[in-house]
Amino acid sequence: MNEAEIPASQRIIGILWPSFLTAAAATVVFFALFDPVELLAYTDFADSSRVGVYTVGFFLFWLLTTTSSTLTSYFQRPTRTPG
Amino acid sequence: MSQTTVNSDSPPARGDNALEQSLYAKRERIYPREVHGLFARLRLTGVAALMGIFYFTPWITWDARQAILFDLPARKFYIFGITFWPQDFIYLALLLIVAALSLFFFTALAGRLWCGYACPQTVWTEVFLWIERKLEGDRSQQMKLDKAPWSGRKLAVKGGKHAIWIVLAAWTGYTFVGYFTPIRELGQSVLSLATGPWETFWIIFYGFATYGNAGWLREQVCIYMCPYARFQSAMFDKNTLIISYDAARGDPRGARKRSTDYKSKGLGDCVDCKICVQVCPTGIDIRNGLQYECIGCAACVDACDDVMEKMGYPKGLVRYTTENAIEGRPARVLRPRVLVYACMLLAVIGTVVGSIVTRIPVGLDVIRDRNSLYRETQDGLVENVYLLKLINMDDVDHVYRLTASGIPGLQLKLDRREVLAPAGAVVEFSARLQADPYDLGSQSTEVRFTLAAVADEAITTTEQARFIGPGSGR
Ligand code: SF4
Ligand code: SF4
Repeated sequence: MNEAEIPASQRIIGILWPSFLTAAAATVVFFALFDPVELLAYTDFADSSRVGVYTVGFFLFWLLTTTSSTLTSYFQRPTRTPG
Repeated sequence: MSQTTVNSDSPPARGDNALEQSLYAKRERIYPREVHGLFARLRLTGVAALMGIFYFTPWITWDARQAILFDLPARKFYIFGITFWPQDFIYLALLLIVAALSLFFFTALAGRLWCGYACPQTVWTEVFLWIERKLEGDRSQQMKLDKAPWSGRKLAVKGGKHAIWIVLAAWTGYTFVGYFTPIRELGQSVLSLATGPWETFWIIFYGFATYGNAGWLREQVCIYMCPYARFQSAMFDKNTLIISYDAARGDPRGARKRSTDYKSKGLGDCVDCKICVQVCPTGIDIRNGLQYECIGCAACVDACDDVMEKMGYPKGLVRYTTENAIEGRPARVLRPRVLVYACMLLAVIGTVVGSIVTRIPVGLDVIRDRNSLYRETQDGLVENVYLLKLINMDDVDHVYRLTASGIPGLQLKLDRREVLAPAGAVVEFSARLQADPYDLGSQSTEVRFTLAAVADEAITTTEQARFIGPGSGR
């Protein structure tokens, strides 16, 4: 099937959604193992609230997984047109 | 137009090409027709029960505290009488395994039961559809309204619908955040517009997700976004309960009068009214065979039964059945796949329950002092310093006593003989271990710290650490 036929909206969902799920899982595991208060105790962010750090952490994970998904999607394009 | 007619010798499932095309085709808005019947009532019961549980649970109090609270700011999960800590992460992992195994088990047994009756996507979509129907009328009225040019009435109806949707979605977001931060206090801060930035953010985020998924995306979530929908076919076999059209009985299809002796005309039981297609929330024609878009909601079963009743034909032209039954082979419910899933499920549930019952409510972390490897005392002993972190996970205060073992003649030096830890508190203290270098077998020896509550010998835990010395070379 021709890649170009996939509507952009579905491509975007196909990138954002799986990365959302993996980022959520990663956030849960990461913050179950590490307490943000201890992690940031000696940094400039020492007085951030935990929920704030969780949220920022989640979005950083999401950024990471989205980048990876986007690259996968990008590299899946055919390198040359067949024929 | 009659492009939905499929002749009876076409393959039951769509070919790959057709599937791929339909997967990425531009979406046509689906207006599911309202259904009444046994399964619609069952689904309604499910929706009401699950909604009730979701919206009501955070308001239950237990021991003067919210019964179910995943207190993220304090890193404690309260589930009725039990408090879980990050150290109890294993339970969360086990719980996820239980959820996954249950899904396997029920899928093998009865197909997409989860999708049709319990998935939040189905449940909220059902509620949003209900609101839409109340305001915009039934299927044909909705279609007419959408085609009609914008008018004052259309604006009012559409605006009203979205307003109610948004209120419901906002309440949903608030309830969701209420699982993570005490809901009553949250309510007060919402009323006084004083919620913290993160709470505000998550209320809006979750509310927006509800509004978007249940109001706009609907069946697209199931078709394009749901991982379960994609892999569930791996759990299906010929004995799985699925929703299916009985082609042998129904075909050839055709319209007829109620009084016609259709059999003599060579017609099957299907009157080709396409009501089953109109009620389908994912917009497919069940008569084309099992398709992965089918969420097993049984709306088409209710709809077709209704038609059959009106025609005076026996019900069940579209029904819950198995592939084997349709093909006239004996169907088995208890088969190896189901039994294996059931055993695994029981084993994991048993482990979870067993370990929660025998859970020891104390935790100990031992970290070696990073500043020095070891030190020699005036008496020629080797000394290591450790930082200990004690977590009293019980609901009462405890006094603990620490012992150490692992090296002959090992001495434990503490500032205090006993450590008091209030209920739910974390106490940090340091401990020194001293050993004779001649008793050390190697540079690094394993030692064990054992912590026990003075009042209750059963509350005890042991943690390992390394004792570093100069080595055996001297
Ligand atoms: S509702 Fe029943 S009779 Fe009507 S088209 Fe569907 S299968 Fe045929
Ligand atoms: S085909 Fe029937 S059971 Fe499947 S989603 Fe459509 S209405 Fe529901």
